[in-house]
Amino acid sequence: MIVEAGQLALTFAFALSLLLAIVPLYGSFTANQRMLLLAKPLALGQFLFCLLAMLALIYAFRTNDFTVVNVAQNSSSTLPWYYQITASFGSHEGSMLLWVLMLAGWTALVAQFSRALPLLLLGRILGILGVICVGFIAFSLFMSNPFERSLPFFPVEGRDLNPLLQDFGMIMHPPTLYMGYVGFAVAFAFAIAALMGGRFDSVWARWVRPWALAAWLFLTLGIMLGSWWAYNELGWGGWWFWDPVENASFMPWLAGTALIHSLAVTEKRGTFKSWTVLLALAAFALSLVGAFLVRSGVLVSVHSFATDPGRGMYLLVFLLLVVGGSLLLYGMRMNSVRSQARYQLFSREMMLWGNNIFLLTACLIVFLGTLFPLFHKELGLGSISIGEPFFNQMFYYLTIPFALMLGLGPWVRWKQQQFTPLVKPLGLVAVAALVLALGVLASMQSVQANLALLGMLLGAWVGVSALAEVMLRMRQFGSVTQGMTKLNASHYGMTLAHIGFAVLVIGVAMTKTYTEERDVRMQEGDTATLAGYQFTLVDVYDLDGPNYGGQAAELDVRKDGRYVTHLHAEKRFYRIQRTIMTEAAVHARLSRDLYVSLGEELPGDAWALRIQVKPFVRWIWLGGLLMSLGALLALADKRYRRKTPPAIRQEVANA
Amino acid sequence: MRKLFFYVPLVLFLLLTVFLLSGLFSDPRERESASLNRALPEFALADLMQPQQIWTPQQLHGETFLLNVWGTWCPTCNAELGYLTELRKQGVKIVGLYYELPRDPTFDAPFNLKALQQDVAQKLQQNGDPYQFNILDLERSLSLDLGVSGAPETFLVDADGIVRAHHIGDINPQVWRAKLAPLYQQWSQP
Repeated sequence: MIVEAGQLALTFAFALSLLLAIVPLYGSFTANQRMLLLAKPLALGQFLFCLLAMLALIYAFRTNDFTVVNVAQNSSSTLPWYYQITASFGSHEGSMLLWVLMLAGWTALVAQFSRALPLLLLGRILGILGVICVGFIAFSLFMSNPFERSLPFFPVEGRDLNPLLQDFGMIMHPPTLYMGYVGFAVAFAFAIAALMGGRFDSVWARWVRPWALAAWLFLTLGIMLGSWWAYNELGWGGWWFWDPVENASFMPWLAGTALIHSLAVTEKRGTFKSWTVLLALAAFALSLVGAFLVRSGVLVSVHSFATDPGRGMYLLVFLLLVVGGSLLLYGMRMNSVRSQARYQLFSREMMLWGNNIFLLTACLIVFLGTLFPLFHKELGLGSISIGEPFFNQMFYYLTIPFALMLGLGPWVRWKQQQFTPLVKPLGLVAVAALVLALGVLASMQSVQANLALLGMLLGAWVGVSALAEVMLRMRQFGSVTQGMTKLNASHYGMTLAHIGFAVLVIGVAMTKTYTEERDVRMQEGDTATLAGYQFTLVDVYDLDGPNYGGQAAELDVRKDGRYVTHLHAEKRFYRIQRTIMTEAAVHARLSRDLYVSLGEELPGDAWALRIQVKPFVRWIWLGGLLMSLGALLALADKRYRRKTPPAIRQEVANA
Repeated sequence: MRKLFFYVPLVLFLLLTVFLLSGLFSDPRERESASLNRALPEFALADLMQPQQIWTPQQLHGETFLLNVWGTWCPTCNAELGYLTELRKQGVKIVGLYYELPRDPTFDAPFNLKALQQDVAQKLQQNGDPYQFNILDLERSLSLDLGVSGAPETFLVDADGIVRAHHIGDINPQVWRAKLAPLYQQWSQP
């Protein structure tokens, strides 16, 4: 019953999305205020019914209703309750419903929190979001229905959730990531609405900024959680694999990062308009391309969902209509938009322009690296694959100038900056960064001309520069305490995010350079030494979990004879899916991770173990976290909640 | 001119969709091996365990064999050693092509043959030793010429040194029965 109610709710949501896609847009062109006013209730209703559908699906999972194909294939009665809930979005069908729910959620948020927006603009934005909702709800309803029953013949037990997905990181990763992907739909809708009305100015930019920031915040968190999950769950201590699906999330992130920077220029200086609009379109377009790549099976990836050319075809047509249509509109409308601001070669504008160029180059590299095998093959040139070395090398070359510029950027004024006043403070920053980097490496007794030194220098340069800049700005307001309150939240947000980037760079460089790894054969009582740590295998015993068996290893770790920690590594065998999973034991500290994964049983009561000491690996995720926090701080800025002056409202309404 | 400039994103996007469309109807895993039905590329590479022994393609003529590309760094390769050893016991001749990972001259420790030999010996002792001998492809030149995209990969080479099959991924009972055994039978007939 409940399952049918879920199906019905999704159908209602579809009907409402159709109305939302048609009525307000039609109203906006015929100046029908009643139609425009309908947008908000439609958006809220659509969200409500999507929510009911999702709840119905979760109910089916919790009650082990194996007559539902989706439940039978992705859950089992032995699965712990929290994974039964997450299993509801572990499959293609379920994750599509989650995607739809989030899209409807963003739409409802826009409807609810845009009282400052003129009615006409809001109607158009919600209408465009409605169009996107129609596409995805129809896809969920007709192409990948999560409520499909297998009556009259149904299994008595489900096939269980893929063990890879049975992890805390997996509970958080997909919803956060989807919030990010789908969130860019809002910026996209703002851009299209602006293209329709022909108005792009600082007011428009100020309206879009919080939405773009919020989407970026979720995407950053989502990518970071995914990386953290891979590290814990895949058992070999990697944190980024340049897998096509990871790249599919990285591309909108890069475009989104460029977008939030470009929006700053459009808001403060009323220029970079064509850039900003294009980036807003691109960020969401890349999310859609990513969705297509993941779900159509065009590329080979570890993440692939079960593929079906019918679904791929649907998504491709949808992509063509939405992205193609928006780019056509862009081509038609953009040439009439003029940016009038003037600025010198050395100015904040040029710095941010450089930022955009670097980020888009990075995006292009990821794009080409991901899709080149496809191009190559479809042109009849045979199969090739592009792997980690290509991306690593490209990003190595890109990061150096990018980080150097990032350290400089925030110091530079809008319009025009004299070079001389910056020489002294930046010289001091450079010296401080050099001392800091060398100091840290010297304390580890490892000052060598290598990647770690480079990463440390760049990271320290960006970090120290960001800190110094914000301190100096505070001083300009008199005392530090006075300055602290004068500077707005988005400035702190920027500083924090830049420090996050510095932390990330340091983490990557240090981990890459100083990770030590050993595969050892150990019997109980044996000790293996790595990087000064003595790992003693205390005990290996059999495990008995709810839906898995396996072995667990207990290790004691000592350094110079002093006890450091106890580690517990598992090797699980999931009974229903018949797959083996490693649950690595991780002892995390800011300066290093101890990472042990349990391997095969070897002849002679021995076990294969992989031991790794990974310096600074936490910094990678800490960096991501700081960037997200930066975005959160920027979102808290008061100016996004200020009401638009009536004069502007009137002016916009007539536009 | 300026007017047309703003249509550039649209044109690029449409071009992309053409590729995506054609990609939709082809299998990404399917690939045509470039080395198929050609003689083994020329090489002169040292034996992994007895480096004074140099192997050339001519020395490999005379018997159909499997050329198995592997490395101790590759977990799947280690996993298939057991089944390959069984095949050896059934009389299949298997030659290892040891694929050494690239090293960064600045950051990585220099290549150490002794350590590698020990590592290989240990792995083979643990999992079984299917190999008649191992050829060390230190510079990965032979692997490159053969069109190796990763490890494990296996080539079926006939008595005249012609590559007759190229299998990507591990060899397990299923793969052997369904794909490689018939070819092996076919090409080992005199």
